[in-house]
Amino acid sequence: MNEAFKKALLGFFSMSPLLLGTIGLVGLMQVYVTPEMIKTLFGYDSFSDTLIATFVGGISVGQGIISYVIAGELQEQGVSLFALAAFILSWVTLGFVQLPAEAAMLGMRFTIIRNLLALFGTIAVSYLTVLTLGLLK
Amino acid sequence: MKKFQYKGLKVLLFIVALYCLLALFDPEKILIATTTDFKIFYSLIPIFILIIFISSLINYFVKPKHIVNHIGEDSGVKGIFYAIASGILSHGPLYMWYGILKEMRESGAKEKLLIIFLYARAVKLPLLVFMIDLFGLAFTIIMTLFTLLASVIQGHLYEFINKKTL
Repeated sequence: MNEAFKKALLGFFSMSPLLLGTIGLVGLMQVYVTPEMIKTLFGYDSFSDTLIATFVGGISVGQGIISYVIAGELQEQGVSLFALAAFILSWVTLGFVQLPAEAAMLGMRFTIIRNLLALFGTIAVSYLTVLTLGLLK
Repeated sequence: MKKFQYKGLKVLLFIVALYCLLALFDPEKILIATTTDFKIFYSLIPIFILIIFISSLINYFVKPKHIVNHIGEDSGVKGIFYAIASGILSHGPLYMWYGILKEMRESGAKEKLLIIFLYARAVKLPLLVFMIDLFGLAFTIIMTLFTLLASVIQGHLYEFINKKTL
């Protein structure tokens, strides 16, 4: 067990510069991209709002619960359900700020394909969710 | 055991240089950003411990042979189930998991299943309550099902792209 713990510890410390760098980027984003700024980006048609939501969710960082708080406020502003769904999903699944860390650990090719698939997947899930909900009502 | 080597030193140096540069123009915001960094770091300490703990357990109990059996090349539907379940149950930010995923891939885990794991993380059980509160139960159920379906489709698409381009 000692050997297993030592290996885990070394593995963790070997990626510590990447972790610290990513935390540094997250800190910068939280200061320069505030929830107030995010809210001003919406208010177009539902398709544009969905694209904006996917991109903004992808570059935003922080606990998943923050995305729900912002989504709640956007809902009160009348932002479409398509956009809100895309915003919540992309917040968790896309990591533009984490791209350097992901590429360093899992490879550039894997990272690019995964993020592109997640980007299109998020838009598709948002539309399918809201359209299905509409059909059921 | 592999030789110890730091990963991402250039990334870290770049971020430090960026902080220094921005501090020249906007010292107040950089001070807030640095304080935020420390707060994030402290909040992540339990996750750090959890990650080291999980890694130790994996190193001790899970041999490459097991990984290949459960989430390897011939794992089939069982592998997809494991990837989805572990994605839903995983905690902490995405970047905390890269190290473990890298080790599992090196031990024989299928890349398709790593893609499924990373997208299935969008479903977080504690957060479903907030989603129900905001958008209703029907929306939450439909979105959760589509998200899990999308994770599996993305995994298959990744495999398809790999076969066509590699």
